[in-house]
Amino acid sequence: MNLNIKKIFRNKAPKSNHKEFDLSQFKNIENFLNEIGGLSRFTGNFFRVLFRPPYEHKELLKQSFNIGLNTLSLIGITGFIMGLVLTLQSRPVMAEFGAESWLPGMVSVSIVREIGPVITALICAGKIGSGIGAELGSMRVTEQIDAMEVSGTNPMKYLVATRVLATTFMIPLLVFYSDALSFLGSYIAVNMHGFISFPLFINQAFDSLHYFDLIPATIKTFFFGFAIGIIGCYKGYFSENGTEGVGKAANSAVVISSLVIFIIDLIAVQLSEVFHIFTI
Amino acid sequence: MLNQKENIIKSNNTINNHKIVIKIEHLKKSFNGNNVLKDINMIVCEGENVVILGKSGIGKSVLIKCIVGLIYPDAGLLKVFGKEVAEMNSRELNILRTRVGFIFQGNALYDSMTVRENLEFPLRRNKTITDPHVIEELIVDALENVGLVDAIDKMPSELSGGMKKRIGVARTLILKPEIILYDEPTTGLDPLTSREISNLILKIQNKYKASSIIISHDLNCSKITSNRMLILHEGIIRAEGTFDELKSSDDEWVRSYFKID
Repeated sequence: MNLNIKKIFRNKAPKSNHKEFDLSQFKNIENFLNEIGGLSRFTGNFFRVLFRPPYEHKELLKQSFNIGLNTLSLIGITGFIMGLVLTLQSRPVMAEFGAESWLPGMVSVSIVREIGPVITALICAGKIGSGIGAELGSMRVTEQIDAMEVSGTNPMKYLVATRVLATTFMIPLLVFYSDALSFLGSYIAVNMHGFISFPLFINQAFDSLHYFDLIPATIKTFFFGFAIGIIGCYKGYFSENGTEGVGKAANSAVVISSLVIFIIDLIAVQLSEVFHIFTI
Repeated sequence: MLNQKENIIKSNNTINNHKIVIKIEHLKKSFNGNNVLKDINMIVCEGENVVILGKSGIGKSVLIKCIVGLIYPDAGLLKVFGKEVAEMNSRELNILRTRVGFIFQGNALYDSMTVRENLEFPLRRNKTITDPHVIEELIVDALENVGLVDAIDKMPSELSGGMKKRIGVARTLILKPEIILYDEPTTGLDPLTSREISNLILKIQNKYKASSIIISHDLNCSKITSNRMLILHEGIIRAEGTFDELKSSDDEWVRSYFKID
């Protein structure tokens, strides 16, 4: 009998492993919640310093200029190709239904409402988000942020607020620019298989667009810009473990902001549908 | 020299007629359960250079970062110019930071700015000077003090290790601080440049009458710059005295710091 009890206890040994497994799962959840908490606190601090003087106009202009100018060519090329490819891919299907003349309208609605803002935001997350994460990360590990703090400058205001504001206001402008070049790409693609004058193409494209297409799409780009800026800054600002940490900060800035862009897009689409029902 | 045990503290803020600028009592700091600073007690007087010696990773940098409020201690008292750092609001802390200069181990020069912009940055933010001619004069004056006026338009990436260190010193000097905290000022430099930096620290002490805490492993630098030395070990100040006193200490462990193989 005693032996059997011992055997039972022995058989219970794997249970401790099971407990360990559970704990590690909790650890992941804890890390995730810590990250959410940290990002929320960081966002709170951003709004706290944003309205307090002194205002860093010069740095804001410098960052806006850098973000806009450095991304212009990349956004231009991808926007142009996006319009071209979308038109070329859609044309055969539209032709089957004899609706080729609807191509400009279909392309303009797709680009303005969804593809333009999301693709541009994702490219900006890759280029601008990683750049901000790496820049602030290397400033953190080389103690430049500490140096700024001990020289009586609030790095949250000088580094973070300026970059987040710059991305928030530059991404919508970049989206407009990308949309415009997409229209150009689409116009060229339409003309590869037929002829349509540019004024007629633009007329048909804008005929299909309503304020309801344009306004929610523009509003969500501000949120995309804010997400890219704040996540890039957060990951860079709290970067640690030397150069390895800088790489991780840049990488996770891109991954998280890309994910957040899709989440914002999903929420924006749902909200705009709800508002659309109410306005009809 | 200022030997704490022999001195009579006349009031809270003076010791043997020397004004106390930094006062630390029973300071504790831990990171993730690891007690780095266990019970630190020390003072720094006006115009005095104090060198803190100790092994790597023992918490020397943590201690000086506590002084400027970059890190907050878990317990204990830390007064700078008679005011408790932990109780300061952000405005008071900014004022304190203009009076206390910090020279980082890796220099921490802003690598996107030229030398001129690096020096201009703290000046424009903390002084009410807006006249560009006055700003230029102050920048040139600070660079003359470290002998690097020619480097004014260079980027930090174009400078050698010793030059970066000097520019770091110039950037700190431009605000005319009353206390300067040096975090391993001669680390990674050749013996000749180390000596130059050590002499520069001494020159600054004589010219500006600033008090300094110098974190160092370099015995030559300690010998040149120190009025008093402290040895930090296992989270406490284990020994205190002048360079010569510690070098000829009865304690074998203290003497071991001064042995050259």
